[in-house]
Amino acid sequence: MEETINRLVKIFLETMSGVGATLSVAMDKLVKIFPAMMSGVGVTLSVAVVALVIGLIFGLILALGRLSKNWVLDKLSFIYIFIFRGTPLMLQLFFIYYALPSISLSFGYQLSLDKLPAAFIAFSLNSAAYLAEIIRAGIQSIDKGQMEASKALGMSYSQAMRKVIIPQSYRRLIPPVGNEFIMLLKDTALVSTIALFDLMRVVSNQVNSSASTFLFLPAAIMYLLLTSIFTFIFEKLEKKYSVYE
Amino acid sequence: MKNIIHMENVCKSFGKLEVLKDINFSVNAGEVVCVIGPSGSGKTTLIRCLNHLERITSGKVFIDDELVDELIDGKDQLKVSPQKVSEICTRLGMVFQRFNLFPHMTVLQNVMSGPLIVKKTPKEEALAYAMELLAKVGLEDKKDEYPSRLSGGQQQRVAIARALAMKPEIMLFDEPTSALDPELVGEVLEVMKTLAKEGMTMIVVTHEMGFAKEVGSRVVFMDKGEIIEEGLPNDIFSAPKHERTQSFLNKIL
Repeated sequence: MEETINRLVKIFLETMSGVGATLSVAMDKLVKIFPAMMSGVGVTLSVAVVALVIGLIFGLILALGRLSKNWVLDKLSFIYIFIFRGTPLMLQLFFIYYALPSISLSFGYQLSLDKLPAAFIAFSLNSAAYLAEIIRAGIQSIDKGQMEASKALGMSYSQAMRKVIIPQSYRRLIPPVGNEFIMLLKDTALVSTIALFDLMRVVSNQVNSSASTFLFLPAAIMYLLLTSIFTFIFEKLEKKYSVYE
Repeated sequence: MKNIIHMENVCKSFGKLEVLKDINFSVNAGEVVCVIGPSGSGKTTLIRCLNHLERITSGKVFIDDELVDELIDGKDQLKVSPQKVSEICTRLGMVFQRFNLFPHMTVLQNVMSGPLIVKKTPKEEALAYAMELLAKVGLEDKKDEYPSRLSGGQQQRVAIARALAMKPEIMLFDEPTSALDPELVGEVLEVMKTLAKEGMTMIVVTHEMGFAKEVGSRVVFMDKGEIIEEGLPNDIFSAPKHERTQSFLNKIL
């Protein structure tokens, strides 16, 4: 009896020290790749933020085009959105990074982009198409009486848009734009396909080379942390813009 | 007497629906014209055609004897530049049934919006005049509130102040009390009466027969897109000549 217990205790202690050793090896690995992970986070964040900012500006222009009475502007915006919403982001990324240099070469000069600028451009162009539709819907949801009241006061279309209609759409735009940004943040994992070292690429490289699959867990936590921070920021923004309601 | 509004053979259709049929209508300075009639009679469309919220289908519209709209069978004949037209249209102030205040601006910002954005009036000047107007409609203490915090009656008084801030020659009221709770109608009508007494030229589309009788200098009865009858309020209300006017007044009085 006593011997059995002794043996069990021994097995237990050996297991524990094994777990401890594994954990400490894991910690070592994590600590070692942590700087690389942080620079990956930097790439992930920069692609998402650039795509959001440029996407919003370009998306607003596209949305105004869609709402314009000018037939050409409307159709041009429509076709742009049709193409960039209707094809996979990965294809757009590959096109800009891999295909553009050879296509431009056949026009006489070579336009080749580094990985990061290529990612910036692809993600910005893509998010502009989505944001354009979000902004258009936001502008159209503003009561028609607002444009009529602006016109009755003598405002031009652009004055009414700038001072009355668009400022009112901000609050309504924040939740869907926040949603779009969260999607962007996660979709940036696609840049690993052009060998850009974002968070996903850093981790999966390490997993491949050292067979330490557990590293996916801290990566997931890092993504969750990022999305939590931005969810919080967008909630604050929404509150700020609803003071008048 | 100075003619401010003049409509000549104005027709307006929405698709196949004829809303205004060959309207001839004038308003002189100092008049308070009350337009009455059943719903769908074209009253609202009539005043919306004056400031280009709607383009007419045919006919001519003049403001201060200047042509601001001219069409023949839906074809635009207007040679005047859009800038000129909108400059002339700022001489018309408009108050809407559903107020249409700008919800993201405070009361004061609403009242200053026209002068600041359209006329580029200096801020101090716009502010001083806005405060004067808010005092006139009895809402100085609400200047920093957002419209959503105000009652319907208060919102409509702000809307009147906002329109007045552009120093219009004529005020157009599109059923200004129809969206209000009954107990709030009086405060808005009071403000309108004050304006009328001060000599403001007004066109009021309304269902408030008491107001038309008391304040109106002329009553226009419309039905099915036509002006059926017009005259002094007393004549229209006590001895309507036309059978359609009689049956309308019988129904509502």
